[in-house]
Amino acid sequence: MYEWSEEHEMIRAAMKDFIAKEIIPIRDDLEHGDLPPYDVLRKMYKTFGIGEQAEASFRKRIEHEKAVAAGTANDTDKPSRHAGGDAGLTLIPTIELCRQCPGLITALGVSSGLTASAISGKGTIAQKQRWVPDLLTLRTIGAWAITEPNSGSDAFGSMLATARRDGDEYILTGNKTFITNGPYADTIVFICKLDEGNDPKQRKVLSFVLDSGMPGLTQSKPLRKMGMHSSPTGELFLDDVRVGMDRLIGEDENPPKGGRDGAKATFQQERAGVAAMALGIIEQCLELSVAYSKERVQFGQPIGEFQLIQQKLAMMEVARMNIQNLVFRTIELSNDGKTMTFAEASAMKLYSAQQATACALEAVQLHGGNGYMAEYHVEQLARDAKVLQIYAGTDEIQTRAIARSLLAD
Amino acid sequence: MNVTVCVKQIPDPALPGELDPSTNTLKRDGKLILDESDSYGVEMALQLVGAAGGGEVGIISMAPNGEVSGMRTALAMGAAKGVLVSDPELSGSDALTTAKVLAAAAQKLGHADLIIAGTESSDGYTGTVPEQIAEVLGLPSVTFAKSVVVDGDTIKVNRQSENGYDEVVCSLPAVISVTAGVVEPRYPSFKGIMAAKSKPVDTVTAADLGITPVGWGGAFQQITGIEQAPARQAGEIVEDDGEAHLKIVAFLENLKVI
Repeated sequence: MYEWSEEHEMIRAAMKDFIAKEIIPIRDDLEHGDLPPYDVLRKMYKTFGIGEQAEASFRKRIEHEKAVAAGTANDTDKPSRHAGGDAGLTLIPTIELCRQCPGLITALGVSSGLTASAISGKGTIAQKQRWVPDLLTLRTIGAWAITEPNSGSDAFGSMLATARRDGDEYILTGNKTFITNGPYADTIVFICKLDEGNDPKQRKVLSFVLDSGMPGLTQSKPLRKMGMHSSPTGELFLDDVRVGMDRLIGEDENPPKGGRDGAKATFQQERAGVAAMALGIIEQCLELSVAYSKERVQFGQPIGEFQLIQQKLAMMEVARMNIQNLVFRTIELSNDGKTMTFAEASAMKLYSAQQATACALEAVQLHGGNGYMAEYHVEQLARDAKVLQIYAGTDEIQTRAIARSLLAD
Repeated sequence: MNVTVCVKQIPDPALPGELDPSTNTLKRDGKLILDESDSYGVEMALQLVGAAGGGEVGIISMAPNGEVSGMRTALAMGAAKGVLVSDPELSGSDALTTAKVLAAAAQKLGHADLIIAGTESSDGYTGTVPEQIAEVLGLPSVTFAKSVVVDGDTIKVNRQSENGYDEVVCSLPAVISVTAGVVEPRYPSFKGIMAAKSKPVDTVTAADLGITPVGWGGAFQQITGIEQAPARQAGEIVEDDGEAHLKIVAFLENLKVI
């Protein structure tokens, strides 16, 4: 793949039209007015049949899993998880939404991506049927809760949230923070350690599915943050939340590849998605910067005539091309039913996030004083881009994953 | 119920257009898109077929270079099939030739209970093709439809007029032209976009349809010259001495808007 297909371009044109009519008019409310993003995202899903298609694809996969369980089908003939069998279908909306409000993709990705994937990846068939269709269609909003006040990059080592056995049930306790969709989530995947009185470092990692309103579960108001204002972020407080085995993902304390692997698979997916987000931010910054370079006149000529401005534009274009190629590679791999290695996903995420921040800040610089004003869109994009270097694994954690892979025996 | 929609593929109005100095016509050699005014016809057709509970929407178009990008949009919205007439000989065709070509294309596509067109294209504005198609096919024509309801073998049309609208009942089959805004065109779904490429579009030439002469040779019109639109005149500035509102009223009365 070296260019977008005709179908991709049609999707892009339709998305651009939808965004112009439905999202840009409310962008200020989303970014500065605490308007939750879910209604407009639901409208987008309904308009383009995204939820309907995802649900149909999910039903096919469930039927296949049932057939495999019954011994009437082969596990290798798994139907594609992408609606229409093309990963580009989900990445084009990601890119286009990130050109305007990257927070929308953060909220959407965590709900129908991370949360749904965490359940559909490791859950039982019954658990998948119970929670996943509603998440895929945005009938419910999901949150994926791993980070704690004292547990960020060292997600598992410092994790304090626990599950204790109590007869046939578990009692969950702990605080989670920086949880995307936390304030409004209907369905929450809560990651914690099984406390059997043993050394915390030796404890098993378990994931449970919680529903909003369960006794003992408190969801905070949205936290104030630097950017991504269209993505509500909050805290979760669990005070002896009692759950049955039916809420333990996989209904097994010893899943085949261990609880940490489930979370790691989610990290990998998250990292690949960040490249498409970065591409959207860079494309928008470049487009705005090129236009501004032509119209802004200083010293009697458009600033685009100055070599220092040209250098900024050229470096942004180099980043855009590189990241677009990485996105193409993601699509190709996915369409072939393959996934990139954990280290490769980390490398892609590291590069894309750094370039998105660098390009957005250069776009602000190119716009001068105007770029520092909220009236100019590059100001928002620069604030939004920074978190790409922090969430889904910081730059430093990505670097460690890449180096460890290089140095592994 | 089968409905055929005439769709024009035009240069993207968002991009700067260019005229061919040798013919004084708009250059159409790049990618073309579905004329927005025809998206209303496609939507109307899809709604009528949906309400009828069966049948399909077909589309016909005339465009250079085998261009189907705009047709794909209509197919992605839900149209089932199309006929494209693409032929270098058609270059320079006037409205009547276009109507003859589209009428033949409609017959090639198959029987339709109703043929729908926009009132006028966004790049040509002749606004005569729908009625001419009706004449060529010997069908009744209703123009400027702002609402359409199918009732057995007839349609009830509210036809936009200067003072309101006329209620018209017309037998089927018929040709109607619909006004912009008559319905809200749907976005193509992602599934529809992916399916559009595999929907059949039959590309034919004028000769295939048995139409001669065409293009400049068959045209009854000639573009003898083009001029830049006159620059906008400076407006009149009225100083408000307490009586300015009267001047505004007089101005509006002069325009016959009040």
